[in-house]
Formats: sequence, structure tokens, C-alpha cells
Amino acid sequence: MEAKPSTANLVDKIVVPGDVVLDLSSMTNQTIKLGGGLRQECDSVSVIKAGKLRFSKPNKYWVESSQKRYVPCVEDTVLGIVVDCKADNFFVDIRGPTIAFLPVLAFEGGTRRNIPKFEIGSLLYVRVVKANPGMNPELSCTDASGKAAEFGLLKDGYMFETSTGLSRMLLSSPTCPVLEELGKQLSFEIAVGLNGRVNAESPSTVVLVSNAIMNSESLSAVQQKIMVDKLLQRIK
Amino acid sequence: MDTRLANTWRLTVNEKRFIETALSSGIRIDGRNPFEYRKLSIKFGREDGSSEVQLGQTHIMGFVTGQLVQPYRDRPNEGTLSIFTEFSPMADPSFETGRPSESAVELGRIVDRGLRESRAVDTESLCVLAGKLVWAIRIDLHILDNGGNLVDAANIAALASLLTFRRPECSLGGEDDLEVIVHPPEEREPLPLIIHHLPIAVTFGFFSSESLLVIDPTHHEEAVMVGKMTATLNANGDVCAIQKPGGEGVLQSVIMQCLRLASRMASDITKKIKDAVETYNTERALRKIKRHPTSITLDGSVNLKEKLNEPSGHNVVNELSRKHLEKPRLASAENASSPGNNGEGESKSSNFGRSSRRDGATSNFVGGAASW
Repeated sequence: MEAKPSTANLVDKIVVPGDVVLDLSSMTNQTIKLGGGLRQECDSVSVIKAGKLRFSKPNKYWVESSQKRYVPCVEDTVLGIVVDCKADNFFVDIRGPTIAFLPVLAFEGGTRRNIPKFEIGSLLYVRVVKANPGMNPELSCTDASGKAAEFGLLKDGYMFETSTGLSRMLLSSPTCPVLEELGKQLSFEIAVGLNGRVNAESPSTVVLVSNAIMNSESLSAVQQKIMVDKLLQRIK
Repeated sequence: MDTRLANTWRLTVNEKRFIETALSSGIRIDGRNPFEYRKLSIKFGREDGSSEVQLGQTHIMGFVTGQLVQPYRDRPNEGTLSIFTEFSPMADPSFETGRPSESAVELGRIVDRGLRESRAVDTESLCVLAGKLVWAIRIDLHILDNGGNLVDAANIAALASLLTFRRPECSLGGEDDLEVIVHPPEEREPLPLIIHHLPIAVTFGFFSSESLLVIDPTHHEEAVMVGKMTATLNANGDVCAIQKPGGEGVLQSVIMQCLRLASRMASDITKKIKDAVETYNTERALRKIKRHPTSITLDGSVNLKEKLNEPSGHNVVNELSRKHLEKPRLASAENASSPGNNGEGESKSSNFGRSSRRDGATSNFVGGAASW
């Protein structure tokens, strides 16, 4: 196993499992955060998932790839479907390899007295708190400081499923082209989960918005604009 | 157990509510009209009798094979038709290998009833030797992707494969004329099945509100609907079969409306199937004709053959007929090998030449079991 001396070259390049990305012995006195797809082995950091290596300042590295299956990662915001209610936890399906648990107290101001009641099949916007491989992930409806911050039940709208890459594109900033174009002419609200689920809500044009988003996966920015224009012209 | 729990597809309350409210204003989630079919594409494989149908996201493959068997005692001069379905787990997380589920059995039954009860396939022409040997036609339907409305797509796949299937020609020979000779496809052109009409299945979905009706429901709509009905009709307007498995009760007037709609859809789909089969047949004929033009240009080879055949002492007429069959094969060999080998190829037995060239050229027209 040879460590690559110049690791900055691999950022934004496609990497495959086994590639050694960082040599920690040469980077002392630095805290580096590793996101999904990377694993630390003694002094080197290697890739365990194929994709593009990304780096964001000051110190976060992760591997980005697009799949239909979601691998739970800590601090991801996802859309989950309630499957069952038990005494301590809600069982929530987040499209990962195992069902996730949402503790009944993980809400803002949550006590034993005011446990929320969710019916089976309700859609929740939650945050992943613990995600160890092989164990059921744990979720929470509050942000790190305990506030509600828009997590919780999503009441109306239409949910559809996409790949993880598309949901990341929808959440990227600057705003992705398809959303920008749609936003110029229509008003709608979407909740995007990093597990590939999107909930769209709008008084009248949900079908159009959802179909536009689903079609935009493999299109470039210009093609997305053209597609949205064509769709909008059809309804006029 | 945990993985199965995690892999099951679930419908959210939001989706259910949304689909129902949108339908009450006539909007479907994929933008179709309530009485519109999804995009249908019919493709064929290289072997006769294999088809691949895509109806939107639903993807089904059909294969037709034939075998000579003893007929049933009560029908000694009719062939048999049987349908087998395979619900592959890759199509839907709820499909499991092993025993077919209720919906799998139902799908097989609907397609079978449509073809058998309406006598769409002529079984009497499948008889070879009354009471002893008949053709047993077997239709295999493989579900590759479940995007909703498997019945309609499976029916189209079965019909498309039946229309393009070719069975080997049989003749009686030997002493007493009791021996059945099955001619290989290279010797005699295989025959198509005699199909009188095409029974098309059209599925309707009913929703909780009385007058809500859709044709060709998708996977999500199937999870939301409260009742469904499949009407099998042909382009002449004959009703071949109707299936309504439980669910909500439906008014008689709604059923009549469905049948009228179904007959309109049936003629559209029949036309699409016939067009696809036409293109396949012309392609197939072109594939055969491609070999002939080269044999016309090689007049010298005909003389060479006659010289070599004389010493063998065969019947001249026999030789001429064999030559007609071998000409296309020799012509293709002509392209592959040098003209010097022509004499060699001719003097060897025809079987050997045929098999060696089959590997080189595309292997078509295998009338036996489908190998895929």
C-alpha cells in the first residue's frame, strides 16, 4: 500500500474503492472530517465507495456518487415513512438497508406526556443522528441544538423517489437550473431528502413540478431549461 | 426479516390522498388522460417466438416453444396451449421465488382464458398424428419490471410471441406412413401458428369515488385503487373474457362504459401489435434473402458441382433439389473461404457443411426450445 504524496490531485476526480486518498502522517495538527465513502486505516485514508472525491473548506472530505439505494450517513436530512410505533421508538423507513429508529422523545419539548401520534404511512422530515454499519440508524426531529427547525411531519403534497445524486443536485447552491426555471413561473414548495425522496407541494401544479424534476436527472443545465420551457408552454 | 421490512415499498398517506384528489379533477400523476395508455413498445429477439414488451415502466418478456407430445384422451386431434408465468424478484420487492403468489396465478389465468376460451389459436392445425402426436405450445412470460398493469403487458407479450413463433414442419413418412419426420428449419421453412384473432386485455382501476375510472393503472395507482377489472376483447368487438377480482362493487352502467372503452383500446393495440409483427417479418425475410444474391453471380460453381456429383451415382433429380438448398450455404462459404476450397466443401456431407457454417453466420430459425 503506497501512500500518494500529492493528494490534492484526487479531489474532484473519480475514485474507486481501494484508492488511498490522504496520507495522515504528513498532515499533523489538523482535524480532518471524513464524510461518506471514506475510511481511515492507521495513517491513511482510503476510499470504500466509487464516486467523485469532494473537498470543502476547511477540512471535510467525502465521496459523492449517485445510487438508487441510500446509505445512511450522520447529519443527513432525509424523508422517512413511519412503519410502526413502539413504546420507545417509531420505526421509520428511510430507504436504507435497515429500518431506522426515531425515539419518541426526539422532538422539541418532547416529554413522556406529549408523545406525538403519527399514523402508519406518514411522511417525516428527519435528521440522521447515528449511522453505524450493521446497526439500525437513529433519527431525530430536532437539530443539533434541540430546536424543531422545520423537522417533523409533512402534511400535504406528493412524494416521489429519485436517485441520491439528483436529490443532492436539487439541494446544491447555487440553485439547480430546473428549480430556478420552474420558480420563475410557478410557486411551489419542495422538501428534499438526501435519501432520494422529494415531497412537492403546490396549490395546482404538483404533477408538472414532479415530472420536471424526475426528467431532469441526466440533462445538462441548458437542456433542463429547455425541458422546463417546453413543459410550461404546454399548460398555457 | 429486518431487510425484508426495510425493502418493502410503502405508500405514504400523502401520496394516497394526492392521487385521489388529483383524479377527481381528472389529473394523473404521470400527466396522462384517465383513458390513455402508456407508451407501448414491442421488440423481438433473434429467435422466432420471443418478444419483449415495455408498457411505460412495466417490462415483460414472452417466449413461445413447441414440443411434440401425446394429446389428451378426450381431444385426440387437438394440440395444447399452456401458459407459465415467472414473477422474478427483480421486478418487485414483494415477488418471491418459489410458489407463485395469488396475483401470479391470476395473471396466468387471465391470459390463458383470453386465448383458450375464445379459440384464438387454432389447435386442430397442431395435430400431426391423430391420437398419437400433437404439438404442445408453451408460452413463458417473464416479468422483468413491475410498473403496474402486468396483465395487459403480459397479454401483449404472449400475443406478439405467438404471432412470430414458427414451428417446424412435420410430414409422415417411413413404411406405412406412420413415422413422423420433423424437418429441420434449414430443410423446410417452419410454419407460423394459425391465429384467428387477437384477444387484447384492457385493465381498469376503480377508486373510492363512484365515477373515478382509469385505464392502465401504474404501480402507485394500483396501490391506491379499491377495485379493478380486466376485459379481454378483440378488434371485432367480441368480448372474450372479463375478470373482476373482488374489490368495490361497481354499477352495471360503469361496466358497460368500460367495455365500450375497452373495444376502442383493443383496436388501437391490435394495430400496434400487427405493425410490429409486420416489421419483424419483413426483417426476417430480408435476412434470408441476403444470402441469395451472391449465389446468382457464381455461375461457375454450378458446373463444378455437377462434375463432382456424377461419380457418386445419385439420382440426378435428387442432386438438383439438394443443390437448390445448398446454393445459399455455399455462397456464404464463398465469401468466407477462398474459391479453392469450394470443391472440398461440396464433396463433404451436407450436414457437416451446415453445422460448420452455422457458427459463422447468425444462427436463425431454431424451431426447438428457446435457448437464452
